[in-house]
Amino acid sequence: MKIGIPSEATPNEKRVAGTPLTVERLRKQGFEVCIESNAGIRAGYTNDNYIAAGAEVLDSVQDLYGQSDIILKVKEPTLAEVDQMKPNTVLICYLRPAQNELLLERLNNQYVSAFAVDAIPRITRAQKMDVLSSMANVAGYRAVIESAFHFGRFLNGQITAAGKVEPAKVLVIGAGVAGLAAIGAANSLGAIVRAFDTRKEVAEQITSMGAQFLTVDINEDGATSTGYSKQMSEEFIKAEMQLFLEQAKEVDIVITTAQIPGRQAPRLWLDYHVAAMKAGSVIVDLAAETGGNCQLTRNGEVYTTDNGVTILGKVNQLPRQASQLYGTNLCNLLDDLGKADQFKIDMQDLIVSQAMVTHQGKINWPPPPIAVTQTITNTKETPRTDNQHVQEKKEALEASKKLKSTLVSLVFMAALLFIVGQTAPQEFIQHFTVFVLAVFVGWQVIHNVSHALHTPLMAVTNAISGIIVIGGLLQTKNEINHLLTYLSFTAILVASINIVGGFVVSYRMLKMFKK
Amino acid sequence: MAKELQTVAYLFASILFILSLSGLASQTTAKRGVLYGIAGMIIAVVATVFGQEVQGHIFILTAILIASVIGVVLARKVEMTAMPQLVAILHSFVGLAAVLVGIGSYLDHAEFSSNAAQTIHFVEVYVGMFIGAVTFTGSIVAWGKLEGKIASKPWNFNGLKTLNLTVFIFISILGILFCSQGIMPGGLIIGMMSFLSCFLGVSLVMAIGGGDMPVVVSMLNSYSGWAAAAAGFMLSNDLLIVTGALVGSSGAILSIHMCEAMNRSFLSVIFASSAAKPQSGLKVAIEGEVTAVDHETVVANLKMAKSVVIVPGYGMAVAKAQYPIYQLTQLLRDQGKQVRFAIHPVAGRLPGHMNVLLAEANVPYDIVCDMNEINQDITTTDLVMVLGANDVVNPSAQHDPSSSIFGMPVIEAWKAKQVVVMKRSMNAGYSGEDNPLFYKPNVSMLYGDAKLSVEQLNIIYNR
Repeated sequence: MKIGIPSEATPNEKRVAGTPLTVERLRKQGFEVCIESNAGIRAGYTNDNYIAAGAEVLDSVQDLYGQSDIILKVKEPTLAEVDQMKPNTVLICYLRPAQNELLLERLNNQYVSAFAVDAIPRITRAQKMDVLSSMANVAGYRAVIESAFHFGRFLNGQITAAGKVEPAKVLVIGAGVAGLAAIGAANSLGAIVRAFDTRKEVAEQITSMGAQFLTVDINEDGATSTGYSKQMSEEFIKAEMQLFLEQAKEVDIVITTAQIPGRQAPRLWLDYHVAAMKAGSVIVDLAAETGGNCQLTRNGEVYTTDNGVTILGKVNQLPRQASQLYGTNLCNLLDDLGKADQFKIDMQDLIVSQAMVTHQGKINWPPPPIAVTQTITNTKETPRTDNQHVQEKKEALEASKKLKSTLVSLVFMAALLFIVGQTAPQEFIQHFTVFVLAVFVGWQVIHNVSHALHTPLMAVTNAISGIIVIGGLLQTKNEINHLLTYLSFTAILVASINIVGGFVVSYRMLKMFKK
Repeated sequence: MAKELQTVAYLFASILFILSLSGLASQTTAKRGVLYGIAGMIIAVVATVFGQEVQGHIFILTAILIASVIGVVLARKVEMTAMPQLVAILHSFVGLAAVLVGIGSYLDHAEFSSNAAQTIHFVEVYVGMFIGAVTFTGSIVAWGKLEGKIASKPWNFNGLKTLNLTVFIFISILGILFCSQGIMPGGLIIGMMSFLSCFLGVSLVMAIGGGDMPVVVSMLNSYSGWAAAAAGFMLSNDLLIVTGALVGSSGAILSIHMCEAMNRSFLSVIFASSAAKPQSGLKVAIEGEVTAVDHETVVANLKMAKSVVIVPGYGMAVAKAQYPIYQLTQLLRDQGKQVRFAIHPVAGRLPGHMNVLLAEANVPYDIVCDMNEINQDITTTDLVMVLGANDVVNPSAQHDPSSSIFGMPVIEAWKAKQVVVMKRSMNAGYSGEDNPLFYKPNVSMLYGDAKLSVEQLNIIYNR
């Protein structure tokens, strides 16, 4: 099979879908590779590099489209490019399928199997091909480097013979991959880093990268099943804006990374926030392409506001690094598709079914829904793999078994109750009712007690079982020489030791538990 | 106090008891739970004492006063490590009280309205005394084992099960005689029955090994509840019935949870057939060598590690190493390292035993994690310190079908980058199984008393 890598038609796109290193890897996977002449030149790779890696360099892009079975690209193709593709070509690139209905239709008419790398589900198995994460990583790093360039001071604090330098304060909004990368880079340059995110679960990741987690005093979690955050309530946003205003007066560099898939980026840094910032401060808006998190961002432009704040509506893509990462992601993806020998498009596969937006004359967008299960304690997504189906079936089987055994025991219980009802006197039945209900209550109440509390729980139930003291109380007689008085005196004594001892000791234990 | 008023007071007390138990389901509400329990108990006792039928207030007051002093002193003096013993001995008190109340109820009963009522009353007395007596002696044996006064090894011989069964059948026959009246004097029968039940309590618990003690203690807790409920039936007292049933069923579910955590069948534990029975299948040979290290090396490793997991076991409790280990934890945490404690559900001699000890040493409970939380990211952990634990980190449970603990969920310490096992010797754990963990290439052993070892680590770390 032949892979073709055309150069990018968009003028400001400097990346390329394959580097000499990834070309070598593709060849090892068994593919032939051809690349359009000078496709890698803007990313710093020459034709000779590619030839050395074993690629064929083609001058004509028509030839390339005509020969290739698989096309690797970065940006979505133009309509003109689509027309050149032959039927059954597999196209792998960014497609933004939610915004590009027309393009999908054209691809479909052309009978192209188009794989949208930006639609790869964010599950564990797909991490190695998650281009969004790779690119976000680059962007986050670059955001810090560029802001440092535009910021006229050191980032780290220094005490020198020439005076003291305060460390720069950096605020990162949105702690996705880009945000975390930015935190890491800013932290390693010595800045004081703070980060804000609506998802409470990322607090730990933020602190682990060396930033302080900022939050508002409203208990609302922005986490969703897709791993992105949702839109928050008005009350929350108000509190958030207030927090940002306070931060705006303090911080020197703001890096915003908040994006909601398929929608305009949320407006988080408004004009009055910019106005509150010190002159010389820098804002880097990584969401500029989707409308910008900052109200004053101009997409693709760098400019300085009247009050001296520099706003970056673009960052350099670091094309050499980004192409390498992107290309490796694509190699991993092709690994998953079976390499050259067993290349297969399996629409049953979870990743393929989500990302293959057109295939064999059908448009597969929006894709079938998946539920990404999220563990409560951990922020990592649990993969929903194919054997989950088997698991579900097993569970269903077990459930039906359980149902059967419940039914059997219910019938048994009914029979038993019938016998009791036939023979026992009314008073006993009343007590019996109370007894059975109490057993159920005890069962339910204890069902989800945490392990840590087992010992105190036992001490308390033990103390409570000292209730048997009542038996002794009821049997005590007035005469001291009565046998019953002796018996019940002893009973009260031991039962009360149990009560008092049990409660005191459990209280003692619980006092020690602290957060 | 009028009867109606007493009844509603009982109702209120029952509600408080339920709130008390549900309060204990989480750390934040646990203290409140205890207070509810105390309030419920006070209301119950006061409502009873001021009831119309109660006599001999002076004796009652004396008994309660003496008991309160003893109880407070006992509970204050006891060391946290001796908590399991205290709980066990307290259970025996409830058992004893149940027996005494049973005798009293037999001697002093009201006129019966019918024959059926009489039979039922006798059944209640008999069952109540039986459970009480088993709880009484069983708890004493459990106490002895936990205290170390009785060897913790399971006391087992071939005919034991048959013997227990015979005794039980005999008790049942006596019970039928007792209820049908007249064939033998009732006093004699309940005397014999008490004796046999006491024997049964001893032999049941004697046969259970130290490793299963948490389940036994919780089971005895459940028994003491059932005994109280039986007493409630004898005395027609709904509060006793409700409370006894609450305690009984909650104890039972707790035991079942624990058995699940150990991958044991509940019945096999309580009927003492839990002694390790080797399954068929070839024993997996242990490969590799044991590497011993010194304190300096461990400290060097600690300094390099970014994330540390500590797995405490009974050895930590015995050596009281929870204080120095927390100092070490603080040292590590001050340097920004992630330190967590991994608690196996059955570590120690009581469920939650480790949590109580760590809490005593002020370890914040949010760094104390359960087995599953730790197993999720054990592979990225730099260093695991196993502190006096053995069976709960034994890989045989996963890899060796011939092992007696095969199938028990364990903390997968061996998957971490490095493991240090702090241990007194190469002796086996409670299950008696050898531990292949110690022979793995990424595992090294630091011999010595847990407390002294950790203190030594602290000193070197601070240098």
